Amino acid sequence: MFNSSSWEVGPILRALMRNKVGALLIAIQIAVTMCIIVNAIHIILERQELMARDSGIDEANSFHLISTGFANDFNEQVTIETDLNTIRALPGVIDAVQINAIPISGGGWSMGLQTQPGAEFDGVGTAVYMVDEHVLEALDLELIAGEAFKPTHVRWRERAQTNWPDQTIITKAMAESLFPEEPWQQVVGKTVYINDNEPILIMGIIDKLQAPWVGWNNVEHAMLSPEKTLFSSSRYLVRTEPGRRDELMPKVEEILAESNKGRIIRDVTSMMDTRERSYRRHGAMIKILTTVMVILTVVTALGIVGLASFSVNRRRKQIGTRRALGASQSAILRYFMLENFLISTVGVVLGAALTIGLNIYLVQAFSLDRIDWYFIPLGMLVLWMVGQLAVFGPAKRAAGIAPAIATRTV
Amino acid sequence: MLKMNNVTKVFRTDLVETHALRDFNLHVQEGDFVAVTGPSGSGKTTFLNIAGLLETFNGGQYHLDGLDVSNLSDKERSRIRNEKIGFIFQGFNLIPDLNLFDNVDVPLRYRGFRSAERKRRIEQSLEMVGLASRMKHLPSQLSGGQQQRVAIARALAGEPRFLLADEPTGNLDSKMAHSVMDLLKDINARGTTIVMVTHDPLLAKQARRNIFVRDGKVSELHEVSAFAEDETAASKVANSKQ
Amino acid sequence: MFSYYLRLALLSIKRNPILSSLMVAAIALGIGASMTTITVNYLMSADPIPHKSDELFYVQVDSWDPNDPYDEPNEPPDQLTWTDANNLMNARKATRQVAMASSGAVIEPHGQDSKPFNAGIRLTFADFFPMFDVPFLYGSGWSESQDLAREQIVVLSRETNERVFGGENSVGRSIRIGGNQFTVVGVLNHWQPVPKFYDVTTGAFNETEDLFMPFLLKEELELPNGGNTNCWKSPEGDSFKAFLQSECVNYQMWVELPTERDKQDYLAFLNSYADDQKALGRFPRPLNNRLSNVMQWMEIQEVVADDARIMLWLSFMFLLVCLLNTIGLLLSKFSGKAAEIGLRRAVGASKGDLFMQHLVETACIGIAGGIAGLGLAMLGLLGIGSLYGDFAENLTSLDLTMVAVALLLALVSSIAAGLYPTWRACNIAPASQLKSQ
Ligand SMILES: Nc1ncnc2c1ncn2[C@@H]1O[C@H](COP(=O)(O)OP(=O)(O)O)[C@@H](O)[C@H]1O
Ligand SMILES: [Mg+2]
Repeated sequence: MFNSSSWEVGPILRALMRNKVGALLIAIQIAVTMCIIVNAIHIILERQELMARDSGIDEANSFHLISTGFANDFNEQVTIETDLNTIRALPGVIDAVQINAIPISGGGWSMGLQTQPGAEFDGVGTAVYMVDEHVLEALDLELIAGEAFKPTHVRWRERAQTNWPDQTIITKAMAESLFPEEPWQQVVGKTVYINDNEPILIMGIIDKLQAPWVGWNNVEHAMLSPEKTLFSSSRYLVRTEPGRRDELMPKVEEILAESNKGRIIRDVTSMMDTRERSYRRHGAMIKILTTVMVILTVVTALGIVGLASFSVNRRRKQIGTRRALGASQSAILRYFMLENFLISTVGVVLGAALTIGLNIYLVQAFSLDRIDWYFIPLGMLVLWMVGQLAVFGPAKRAAGIAPAIATRTV
Repeated sequence: MLKMNNVTKVFRTDLVETHALRDFNLHVQEGDFVAVTGPSGSGKTTFLNIAGLLETFNGGQYHLDGLDVSNLSDKERSRIRNEKIGFIFQGFNLIPDLNLFDNVDVPLRYRGFRSAERKRRIEQSLEMVGLASRMKHLPSQLSGGQQQRVAIARALAGEPRFLLADEPTGNLDSKMAHSVMDLLKDINARGTTIVMVTHDPLLAKQARRNIFVRDGKVSELHEVSAFAEDETAASKVANSKQ
Repeated sequence: MFSYYLRLALLSIKRNPILSSLMVAAIALGIGASMTTITVNYLMSADPIPHKSDELFYVQVDSWDPNDPYDEPNEPPDQLTWTDANNLMNARKATRQVAMASSGAVIEPHGQDSKPFNAGIRLTFADFFPMFDVPFLYGSGWSESQDLAREQIVVLSRETNERVFGGENSVGRSIRIGGNQFTVVGVLNHWQPVPKFYDVTTGAFNETEDLFMPFLLKEELELPNGGNTNCWKSPEGDSFKAFLQSECVNYQMWVELPTERDKQDYLAFLNSYADDQKALGRFPRPLNNRLSNVMQWMEIQEVVADDARIMLWLSFMFLLVCLLNTIGLLLSKFSGKAAEIGLRRAVGASKGDLFMQHLVETACIGIAGGIAGLGLAMLGLLGIGSLYGDFAENLTSLDLTMVAVALLLALVSSIAAGLYPTWRACNIAPASQLKSQ
């Protein structure tokens, strides 16, 4: 039965004003907890979004390794050709490619492309992947415009060589950054310039391929350069049929190591491990923040339970008196729930201000994003609920206090 | 009005069973003023608690206003307490964090009156006990006698038919005790039935009827013919602060 | 009197076991969380070479693109070109100086059973070892003349020596690195500065290198580039020499300058050097040369990770919540003792006595919380260690300073939390509690 007069907001507030400190302590706890929780969730979601980005390659079924030659009679060009042919011929391997850098691995090569020649013009930064004509299949890329590399396009690059092949394939994101005015389809066939004035023809566009640096603003900028490298260390990226990666990783390592003793095979790593490593600090941050949130909520809830229990004990006589004067059990329950609700309200309002304050600080000091507005009411709701849940136990006990307490002289 | 037949009450703890009331029989008429006396531990408070539906009993019958109260739910008992019964306690039991206005307001809130009605009743009952001017004061700012008057105002604000008082003057000095007693007589004169526990025989004499409780039983019942004003007796009252 | 207070405190703690353990738990959690993050931040921002960190300076000269600064707003490049590194080394204008680079090569141990493996190389100069107080297990570094003679000599890390020579004194023995024969001149003892300040360009908390060899061997043996290479214009020609002579930066340089005067002189030298280079048609940007001491350089390179700082702030707020919690619980607890306090006042205890009594009680809870918090901090650091893997390997050990800090923090914060409740408790009027309530 709803009855406005039994919602004792006025008297509760006036009674609270006589015990400001205790109530304020809880309110501030709630406020700080809300501030931490909302900002933590914001950071967590931001990181999750970061981690959910697709690198563009078939991560689940790919691995990579490094082959480093050291023998004086080591013939790098022959080794690479033989290696690639061997790997590609293995049953279970879809394709393999020599590549100078592994997407999302942290280390790689970047260049600037510009639409006009000349040192005075700015370039658009992009990751460079040096690959042969097997790249689309090995990396599981989709060519959405133009043409793929043909074997005739692919050249050999020496360690200190500085010039570039005449063609490139770029990502859609790169195409849009280079020519923001035009639809990306029309970028095919355009000439851009590398090293200030060396022309390169854009012969194709792929849908998506991330750069090696996951923290880079332009992580979607990548270009494929049709060349194989003679840098004495080679990286191979191997794509297998689904489910065969783990079986093929040691196999490929062994076959390559056995086939040529003038080099070592090292860092055989699955793409999943590479991803895990690159995003490890984000994953760790998510776990730490989640732990902090949970513990903090428990601490705050326990604090509310502790203080409410104590205040119930302190007010036993008063509760008995109220019962004697006609308060039903539910009226007593309601009293404590309502009291907590009012304290929480002060807390969450304060919390909203603190949350925004901390967010502004984080935005300025650590260039985080602003929080979405609806985080605030959601956070308020959550803390209201935490407070109500925490106080329910003590309030239930208060409601159970026998009315006969009132006549017991202390 | 109040009719107890063979009411028994047993307190069980781990070690002992205490028979606080055994075959307790009492009838109180509408408009009566009954003073209950008896030695400490004889069961007076227990009787009052049962009479005021603060406690349940183990055996016998109790009819309040013609209603058998033995099988009522906690909620119904609360409602009856709220509507029909007013309580006055030895320790006043004012809520220390609330001012006088809010203290008197407590039972009216549970009654569900609208705020204008509550305000009227609060002012009226505080007026009656002569404390209307101190509505915004806190209990701690009043003397014991004044506090007890507030408690009486609180008990009366809901216009109960029935006023139960457990040693209302127990914490008061004799002068204050008398003024409280005068107030109660006044209230009774306006038609409210009063049952008052006291261990002060001189105050008890001022009631219409006295009962004496011993070992959980009513052992004596006698009428007091008229309100006797006994100044010398009053001065002998040796209550002091406890 | 103190022991009496102590006994009272323990009694009072025992009387309210749930409330007391709640308080201890709250303080422990707060201390645990903040000590974990304080430790990580402390290690990240630690001074790796405290006795001379303000005498060692990282050298930057602005050799960059006339159209764009290396980094906004007007930062010089964080590394040097091969040309500048060599010119500055040859000038020998500082008490000690080292230019360096990182590289890698395959080591082929003797014997058929041990497989070749890839090793990280630090190319550097003779001064490296005395300048950075590098500890030796066997042998020593090399001399300036050996630098100039481009001798194929090498200093091994302790771990590499174990791997290749089974840990014995290998000084004088030969080792095959990248297809070339080297002679071991020294073996380091375990050495892991945190942060790895001498080169933070590829990560401030990496392991130290497996091998140290003369810088000029880079040119002699055409060793590959490690770390980051940045160029504002491409090399003129495709040879290794052309790359070395290009405007690409890949080299770090430190100088030791014991006095402020030395520093001013060196900066003046750098500026005149830059002017000379301008005369040769290099250094197209305005003069912008820098000397940063170790801690300044760590600051500029933002060695303390943002995440660690965010966590530090969050954990302080966490501690705040825990302390507010404790204040509330103490208030409740002491208010429950109002009758006892009133009685003690009535029988003659002064406010000071009561204050001490309750402060001792609070301190007991604080110390218990601190000790439990220390345990939690160790757990927290283990957790961080396992979450971050090798990145945090060198950042998750509690040293004695941190233990002391933890206990002090617990004590101070719990006493701070206890002050107000204690003050309130002591201000209960002696008579008020004797009146019936
Ligand atoms: N809640 C209780 N639990 C156990 N025994 C009780 C309880 N309340 C009262 N008693 C016992 O019942 C008896 C009557 O008590 P009470 O009615 O308070 O006496 P009076 O008010 O006459 O002094 C006493 O022996 C008392 O100890
Ligand atoms: Mg009694």
